[in-house]
Amino acid sequence: MSSVMKTTRDVKGIGLSIVRPDAPDKVTGVVQYVADLSPRGLLHAKLLRSPYAHARILKIDVSKARALPGVRAVLTAADIPELKKKAPTRAHAVLAIDRVVFAGQPVAAVAADEPAIAEEALDLIDVQYEVLAVSADPLEAMKPGAPPVADAGTEADTSEAQAHGSVAGVATEAKPAKAVNISQQARLQRGDVAKALAESDVVIEKTYRVPMVHQGYLEPHAVLAQWDTAGNLTLWSSTQGSFNTRSEVADVLEISENRIKVIPMECGGGFGGKIRALCEPITAILARVTARPVRYVMTRREELEAGMPAPQVIIRLKTGVKRDGTLMAIEGEAILESGAFSGAVLAVSGVFLASLYRWPNFDVKGFEVLTHKPSIAAYRAPVAPQTIFAIDSHMEQIARAIGADPVEFRLRHLQREGDKMANGQPWLNNGAVEVLTRIAEHPLWMKRAEWKASSKGGKLRGTGLSLGGWLGGLQPTGATVRLNPDGTLQVLTGQVDIAGTNIALAQIAATAYGVDIDKVKITTGDTDVAPMTGLSAGSKTTYTVGVAVMQAAQNARNQTLEIAAKELEASVHDLEIDGGKVVVRGVPNKGITLAQIGKKGNLYMSKVEPVLGISHPAFSVQAPAFCAQLAKIEIDPDTGELTLHDFVVVQDVGKAINPLAIEGQMQGGAVQSLGMALTEALMYDDKARLTNPSLLDYRKLTSADVPKIETIIVEKPAPHGPFGARGVGEPPIVPAPAAIANAVEDATGVRLTELPLSPERIALAIANGK
Amino acid sequence: MRRFELLLPQSVDECVRTLAQQGPETKLLAGGTDLLPQLKNGLLKPARVIDLSGVAQLRAIESANGQGLRIGSAVTARTLELDRTVQGRYLSLAESGALVGSVQVRNLATLGGNLCNAAPSADMAPPLLALDAEAIIVGPKGERRVPVATFFTGVRKTVLAPDELLVELALPATGPNSGGNYLRHTPRRELDIAVVGVASQLTLANGVCAKARIALAAVAPVPLRATGAERALEGQRVTPELIARAADLALEVARPISDQRGSADFRRHLVRVLTRRTLTTALARASA
Repeated sequence: MSSVMKTTRDVKGIGLSIVRPDAPDKVTGVVQYVADLSPRGLLHAKLLRSPYAHARILKIDVSKARALPGVRAVLTAADIPELKKKAPTRAHAVLAIDRVVFAGQPVAAVAADEPAIAEEALDLIDVQYEVLAVSADPLEAMKPGAPPVADAGTEADTSEAQAHGSVAGVATEAKPAKAVNISQQARLQRGDVAKALAESDVVIEKTYRVPMVHQGYLEPHAVLAQWDTAGNLTLWSSTQGSFNTRSEVADVLEISENRIKVIPMECGGGFGGKIRALCEPITAILARVTARPVRYVMTRREELEAGMPAPQVIIRLKTGVKRDGTLMAIEGEAILESGAFSGAVLAVSGVFLASLYRWPNFDVKGFEVLTHKPSIAAYRAPVAPQTIFAIDSHMEQIARAIGADPVEFRLRHLQREGDKMANGQPWLNNGAVEVLTRIAEHPLWMKRAEWKASSKGGKLRGTGLSLGGWLGGLQPTGATVRLNPDGTLQVLTGQVDIAGTNIALAQIAATAYGVDIDKVKITTGDTDVAPMTGLSAGSKTTYTVGVAVMQAAQNARNQTLEIAAKELEASVHDLEIDGGKVVVRGVPNKGITLAQIGKKGNLYMSKVEPVLGISHPAFSVQAPAFCAQLAKIEIDPDTGELTLHDFVVVQDVGKAINPLAIEGQMQGGAVQSLGMALTEALMYDDKARLTNPSLLDYRKLTSADVPKIETIIVEKPAPHGPFGARGVGEPPIVPAPAAIANAVEDATGVRLTELPLSPERIALAIANGK
Repeated sequence: MRRFELLLPQSVDECVRTLAQQGPETKLLAGGTDLLPQLKNGLLKPARVIDLSGVAQLRAIESANGQGLRIGSAVTARTLELDRTVQGRYLSLAESGALVGSVQVRNLATLGGNLCNAAPSADMAPPLLALDAEAIIVGPKGERRVPVATFFTGVRKTVLAPDELLVELALPATGPNSGGNYLRHTPRRELDIAVVGVASQLTLANGVCAKARIALAAVAPVPLRATGAERALEGQRVTPELIARAADLALEVARPISDQRGSADFRRHLVRVLTRRTLTTALARASA
């Protein structure tokens, strides 16, 4: 564990706004993604997917498909010996065995010379299904007697919760015996809620709903697999964590991890959706069967129908307060619909509901419910936007009901550092108060009454804000820093750069070692060569890998100084690195260049050890990060159309290592969040089939929908972050839905509790006078 | 996408001959903005595709007798959006062209493709209905003309026989005291499909409505005219009250469904709102 680095050295690497050097190659198409790789002998994979959400497979006839010229393999579950029933994860359910549990589940796999041939082969596979009753709605699926999703005896999958490492200490409860589709259950309790509610002056009860949404990365899931004759597998993968992908694939294929090399390719966005293995196992099996390289690239339709979206979240809250604003009690349930396989993180929701604010009495239950839909995965601050939508909407309504200023009301009750969270652990150092205070000073908030009063031409104007955040992830990780013979630095990690983190790492290495940033090269190694490195997820890449790089650079610096001390016959304590040289302080012409030291480490018969800084830390202290957002809107009450005029993001980043990249994260997170707030929803019919499987009807926002997003960086140093930095990726996706809902109520007087806040919902609510 | 044979005729005659020889399982490709997604997702698996990009006649816009206008079926949405004649005399059609997809989509998407794809939500259909346009169709037996109002026979179905080609749209003259407007509602500003679309066209004579046309999209299997509302306007001085009544009457023909783009209730709500708004704008334009 490291503390904030204190240094008197020049820290010009940290805090510089640096444009991503990889941007031109990405914009001009020079960068190679998995879909661009075509080794000799490449075969193309396609999957036959179930049209039904729940059905028994009676018979599969692949004979016609196998006979099609150009087809090299057609596989069903019967051809794959590793497959077992009761698949513990989605990755293990490579192909359906005798039952499909969501529409879009793979039933057969084809590898062929051309994609078109593979598709034609799919048309020639004859599958006979017996269609079964579905659990399409989580509330129905929870009831005894609902059509069961998992095979009896299947265990809940809590590895996602561990991967995110965000909340510990939430007790899980045994599930009711008859409710077959409740896969996890938890409860957070303190005090006497019933009594406190009875003593309250104002009791508000509402149910909030957020549908399943897709992460919306530009590049779909893609992988290329190839075996050598010795039985070693290489995977070129679009992944957020190559070591995790290696472990999962090794587990599914039942081979040792050192026989698998995962090469993390450029990742065209992940947002949590590319942590778990999805199409790697079947592609590897096709490659093994054909003894050829096989590539699989999911289509956009497959992504939407059979990706790993965020869960639907249904939260009921009942709160009681005194007329003077004293909080009395909160009671609630959070129901997370996980689709066909377990994997939701229950604890985040419970902790935010029960203990973001100082509720003296609380009773919050969490349920993970399985349904016949594609199983879920993480999506940027998993379940936090959905939870904050509920609790922040609720806080706003309470403030309105008792006539309190909404910011003062939140500030009065916000938990501070050291206050106990609902799981008994203390809140750690964070900037929640600072970001909320800062946004309340913004001119758009100060002038919100004028904006509302300026409504004209039948339009309605309003302003809303919200506060949300993320507790921050942790994972052990490693890095090495090498001094090259020309005096430059080579940093090696296994981290996948999905957010511009390579620049931040270079800035950290440059500052910690004492060279300019242009002397530092960051390399993302594959799983054969890189030190073990955690996922690029959980807002922890800079926070944890940054520490490893900082320590490895410090380690390399110390080695460099020791070599220089011997060469210069000086004390290490009198040396400093300046301008590419190690010099004796106060004796400017006595020095040795970094290149000279580097060369000595690579010279025939040299007795000088090459400089190799190493760090492989584990971590125990998270850095919660908060974000406040403000929306200034205008609504056409007849059509329900909502125009965003201004949007402001205020975020505590601890220390801005690369402010430009951070502003990009803040804006990008806000845009994703606004999509969740306004237009996005995976929509299913009563047979649990997706009705909007294209980007035409699964509406991500376009640049025409989004105004300029103002970013305000707040720096409250994280005690254990590299140079005080804390995670920045996840917080900005959290507050927007509540901010928009609060603005809609400000403009129209209508409170909406179900996302997306579509024109239809707004217009019909106004027309019906809700 | 499955494999198919691609054919490239260079004239209308050659295209019609090719169609007659090839028979069914043949699709025509104009801009491809509707066809290609259907091919890629395996919703259509034609054996042959006829690419119309070599047929120059389909891309022409010609004033007929200095009066009406003939617009080739492969004229793009972007051309309709920017063409001065269309903007001047058939503004609602230019407005519908400007709403399709994004600029990139509009550079490819064609008027004929929008009609022949025959989606109930086709943006360019309501203005053509409101402008009394006719479809000029060529087949093995020669040319025939069909009012656009009867061109659609169902969801994704038209009067076109498998061996026929939609060549042109003929728009009659509008006259000096005529004005029109097309509006649609979409949840997203761009790259979206109409939840409801309404085109209105009003022609005034001596302060009275001489002719009214109101056409609706996405509220029935085919685009259709709200004739009851039209009759209520014709022969009357058009007041805000009368427009509100016409908007109520327009609802009578709407038979909307609930789907992933909107509920039947919301569609009915929008028919009223958009009919009122397009009539108000059409009146202002006709009076200008």
